[in-house]
Amino acid sequence: MTAIATDPPMLERRYARLGVVLIAPTILVFSLVIVYPLLAAIYLSLFSIYTPTLQGEFVGLDNYAKLLTQKAFWSSLGTTLIWTVGTLSLQILAGVGLALLLHQNIWFRSLARSLVLFPYFLSTVVAVLVWRWLFNDLYGALNHGLMQLGVIDMPLDWLGSMPNAMIGVILVGAWKYFPFVVIAVLARLQTIPEHLYEAARIDGAGPVSRFFDVTLPQLRSVLTVIILLRAIWDFKEFDLLYLLTGGGPVTSTQTLSLLVYQEAFGLNRMGQAAAYSVGMMLVMLVFMILYIRRTGRES
Amino acid sequence: MANVTLSKVRKSFGAFTALEELNMEIAAGEFIALLGPSGCGKSTTLRILAGLEFPTSGEISIDDRRVNDLPPGKRDIAMVFQSYALYPHMTVAENIAYPLKKHGVKRPEREAAVRQAAELLQLEPLLDRKPKQLSGGQQQRVALGRALVRDPKVFLLDEPLSNLDAKLRSYMRAELIELHRRLGKTMVYVTHDQLEAMTMATRIAVMHGGRLQQFDTPEMVYNCPANRFVASFIGTPSMNQLEGRVEGGAFILGPDRIAIDRTMFRDDLADGPAVLGIRPEYIQIGRGPLQATVRLAENTGHETILTLELSEGSRITARVEAGSRHKVGQVLSLGLQNDAVHLFEPGENGARLNKEQTGAAVIPMRAQ
Ligand SMILES: Nc1ncnc2c1ncn2[C@@H]1O[C@H](COP(=O)(O)OP(=O)(O)OP(=O)(O)O)[C@@H](O)[C@H]1O
Ligand SMILES: [Mg+2]
Repeated sequence: MTAIATDPPMLERRYARLGVVLIAPTILVFSLVIVYPLLAAIYLSLFSIYTPTLQGEFVGLDNYAKLLTQKAFWSSLGTTLIWTVGTLSLQILAGVGLALLLHQNIWFRSLARSLVLFPYFLSTVVAVLVWRWLFNDLYGALNHGLMQLGVIDMPLDWLGSMPNAMIGVILVGAWKYFPFVVIAVLARLQTIPEHLYEAARIDGAGPVSRFFDVTLPQLRSVLTVIILLRAIWDFKEFDLLYLLTGGGPVTSTQTLSLLVYQEAFGLNRMGQAAAYSVGMMLVMLVFMILYIRRTGRES
Repeated sequence: MANVTLSKVRKSFGAFTALEELNMEIAAGEFIALLGPSGCGKSTTLRILAGLEFPTSGEISIDDRRVNDLPPGKRDIAMVFQSYALYPHMTVAENIAYPLKKHGVKRPEREAAVRQAAELLQLEPLLDRKPKQLSGGQQQRVALGRALVRDPKVFLLDEPLSNLDAKLRSYMRAELIELHRRLGKTMVYVTHDQLEAMTMATRIAVMHGGRLQQFDTPEMVYNCPANRFVASFIGTPSMNQLEGRVEGGAFILGPDRIAIDRTMFRDDLADGPAVLGIRPEYIQIGRGPLQATVRLAENTGHETILTLELSEGSRITARVEAGSRHKVGQVLSLGLQNDAVHLFEPGENGARLNKEQTGAAVIPMRAQ
């Protein structure tokens, strides 16, 4: 009797030990590439460090005091939020719109479905080169086109003045990343059973009602995940902004990622940069907690 | 009250023809069962009536109005889907109320209608649940409720009871009959269950391979089947069909001669190959010209079904009282009740050769 009673716990313990052995490599790698840099950043943020020599002295929470009292972090956070909200809304609108269109039976559907992915697969450097050429105020195709159409009568300085520069990066960001939304939404649309639409039609629902009563509720979970993921990615976007405007004019498109970079390698203040990045991480933690709670609830 | 007409309706999916030349006139207030084996085109017919599928050719009208070009929402119909098609994110109550909401019915009236439907369908304890939290049968009742709350011209029901257990099914059968009597609405009811069709419908449309085989009252479909398919499809066990030939006043079956009354049959009945049909209940055991060996005796409790082998080799089934003791291997003599004989043309789906009302005493099925 006792042997039988103790058997399952022993087996369970053996499985538990096997589990630990199996996830150990992952935990090790995770610690090396994520936990170590994280702790190092927090450690660095307590020092005043000159980047080229990596020498400096302990200053306690001084860097955080500067973060809280000086304008740089907060205005950059504001810029980051404008960029994130702006480009994300456009990505969602364009992405969902195009997914709905590509879900219809249009004759060039499969061709269009592959073409839509193009911006997403394009290297950021190449995409930015193309867009800088389009945006150029001397020979840019965009100005030329807009003048031909009579929308503007003088060439606009797209990336060198505000608010055009912010509008420009938001547009390019939306263009670059909306295919992700298209693909994710399209995949979900294809799993919505056709008979739901048929039932709704019989119940007297028009196209708008069918979208809000059948399509949207079915898209809700995938949209939440897309929005959270893209919000995190857009929030920390670096290369696209750095290559397109470098944060300019002056600091008007300088998001937090660019601020951290500028502080660390432009102004050689590694300690302050580390403090900014810890601040940035705390903001992103909010998104991450939302995402984890969301996906946790789904499963 | 609205009548429904299908005239010369054809439907093909690519090269495959699902419906061929369907003509059907349904009077206002009728309860029509579309009955037939799987894949015969019942759902397709219903979906064409609903406007979810367009006929390749032909005309459809509801309430004397051509509806070919009307979208489903404008045809004033309610439908129960074979696959339920409940809105997954809405509760049971919201699902049932949805068509009312889309037709601009005010909230208090909606709630009253939902309560009434829930009571009828025994759904009250489930009103706050989501479809995912329901069993198949419960979902089916919600789908039924969503159709019943409305006041449409025509109800279209695609196998609405197929997933219910036997008890609930017979309860719902009675409820639907009662509901039809009370509302007097035209109903088109798809089923492959002949018991449902026989007990509920005012008329049955028997379909096979995309063609309408017979469109008549349950009594007529049972007693005067139009052809061999209807004869074998309606009734369990199905009608015995024996291939032989007509010669004068007799049907020749191998070595045996069965006397027939030629006045029962069409005047153009000629001598030659034919098929004799007789239902198992009209086979008289113990007297008659035929010899048969008992091969199988199945006692169902209230009756016994005998499978018998005739001397020339073909098998027939006979329905006898439960108490009767017949042993496998026993040789019996048997006869056919003369006024219950049908003759059909030979061939896979030969037409019936009887004069209209002959073949069996007419049994009333459902008091209209
Ligand atoms: N969209 C479609 N494309 C091609 N063929 C179809 C389509 N819909 C139905 N069919 C075919 O049409 C025929 C009739 O189908 P239908 O759904 O009307 O059958 P049914 O009588 O309702 O059968 P069941 O009792 O199994 O529901 C079937 O052979 C089916 O394969
Ligand atoms: Mg069907």
